[in-house]
Amino acid sequence: MNSIKTENLSISYGDSDIVKDLNLNIPKGKITTIIGSNGCGKSTILKTIARILKPKNGVIYINGNDIQSLSSKSIAKEMAVLPQSPEAPNGLTVGELVAYGRFPHQSGFGKLMAKDKEKITWALKIINMEEFKDRPIESLSGGQRQRVWIAMALAQETEILLLDEPTTYLDLAHQLEILQLLDDLNKSQRQTIVMVIHDLNNAARFADYMVGIKDGNIVCSGTPREIMTKDNLRKIFNIDAIVVDEPIDHKPVCITYNLI
Amino acid sequence: MQTHKGKKKLILIISILFILLLSIFIISFNIGTFAIGPIDVIKTLFGQGDSKQELVLFTMRLPRIIIALLVASALAVSGTVLQGITKNDLADPGILGISSGAALAVVIYIYFMNGKAYSDVSLITIFTMPIIALLGAGFAAFLIYTLAWKKGINPTRLILMGIGINSAFSAILILFQFRFSTQDFNKIMIWTSGSIWGTNWSYVIATLPFVFIFTVLIIYKARYLDVLSLGDELSVGLGVNIEKERRTLLIYTVALAGAATAVAGTIAFLGLISPHIARKLVGPKHKLLLPTSALVSSIILLLSDTIAKNVLAPIEMPVGIVVSIIGVPYFIYLIMKE
Repeated sequence: MNSIKTENLSISYGDSDIVKDLNLNIPKGKITTIIGSNGCGKSTILKTIARILKPKNGVIYINGNDIQSLSSKSIAKEMAVLPQSPEAPNGLTVGELVAYGRFPHQSGFGKLMAKDKEKITWALKIINMEEFKDRPIESLSGGQRQRVWIAMALAQETEILLLDEPTTYLDLAHQLEILQLLDDLNKSQRQTIVMVIHDLNNAARFADYMVGIKDGNIVCSGTPREIMTKDNLRKIFNIDAIVVDEPIDHKPVCITYNLI
Repeated sequence: MQTHKGKKKLILIISILFILLLSIFIISFNIGTFAIGPIDVIKTLFGQGDSKQELVLFTMRLPRIIIALLVASALAVSGTVLQGITKNDLADPGILGISSGAALAVVIYIYFMNGKAYSDVSLITIFTMPIIALLGAGFAAFLIYTLAWKKGINPTRLILMGIGINSAFSAILILFQFRFSTQDFNKIMIWTSGSIWGTNWSYVIATLPFVFIFTVLIIYKARYLDVLSLGDELSVGLGVNIEKERRTLLIYTVALAGAATAVAGTIAFLGLISPHIARKLVGPKHKLLLPTSALVSSIILLLSDTIAKNVLAPIEMPVGIVVSIIGVPYFIYLIMKE
């Protein structure tokens, strides 16, 4: 069962074709990570699924529905997006930013109903920042801020969550914090999570399903064990990789690599 | 959700602003060629004043003050919305050329009516001027929108195009002014510097419903403006149709800016600094920001108008100049803070 499916998707920037005839399937209720080198098109693909970019050709299905046939608001109730480097205006508190996630569920003048407030509190609890509700965003660290953005996406109450490089600007500890949070979310809420992620080993560690992109095409897809092979990594990244199992969870990691 | 400023502090801020506005309102009656003391103002408002006071209050001062409040609110709200849509704190209807579009339309209209439209204050004139100004504002906005459009509207392109159109229209405006006689040239000069020349109830009736309706429409969209300020990517993710919403909000802005310009000429800076001040006082949420902007703007304009009318009495300065005198130092201060 696929949460997201693309059919012959083609995306271009101006005259150049970035992606051609892409047929991507994202499994439901699992964590999928999309990997690839710079400029391979992975962010472009994610942005197009998120409706930030318009495709040149092809169809995108969310839970079986063509996104062209659905209204912006109804898609927003099924799929939340966290872009790279999100920005909030100055002067907002944590609670106010998370409240923005309720936007697709509101109507009229937009007063927060009991259900909205419930969801906001729930989201804050999941990211473990309930006491921070009235703190200004400016006073938070990078890791804390990222958690607040995730809480906003959670408050949106969607089955699918798309994240574009959610850990790229965070230090090692905060990176792991965020990824473990997402992992817990997937295990407890059965949310479908799709991430474009730069760090290969983290991508492999937390994914149920991985997709390797090169030049706008899927070069391989499957479980981390299937993807993390010398051959596949050469195809995706143009590197000569050494892959072993790490001693704690016996997941595949690339411990070193050379240029080809 | 409470801001970190706390609900109590917000109520305090709004109350102070209201009191300030009321004070200026009362003071403005007390200055001028026919001064009415504060107690007499209240008495006259309740029908207890003598006939002279009633004449001055009801037929001269009150409509002018109401027009000032409407113009100030319209400019402030449209400035706030423009800053929200363009994600640029330097946007206001003046910079975007919407005001100069309205001004140009009015000037061309006057030119072709052989200056009669300006000096003749018939009812037809009063009601056609706002429409002409609106058409001018709409045309300017249309031009900016279509020229800035490239598979959608990029906020930066919108601003740059607006600045360009503003320069173009201002240049054409000056060209037209030179073709007028000296008398009319001066009148137009004063008008484009901003002056509240509409001082009777017909202007109020012509402008009030307009400003009211569009302001309400914009406040209804307050939460859309909040989401738009998060940027395009997050807005799309939250389900906002950004092209449609920007377009709708731009139309509302043009309507307000056009109405304000029709009645008071181009008053620079008001739509720019009021949202800034309001933001510092009450934060970025538009449900609060929009009314506060209007309040701040009203205070500034009412104060400026009182100064403009009385400081060089019996000569009346164009109010736009006083606003600029207040506005420019604040503007420089803003830039220096960055």
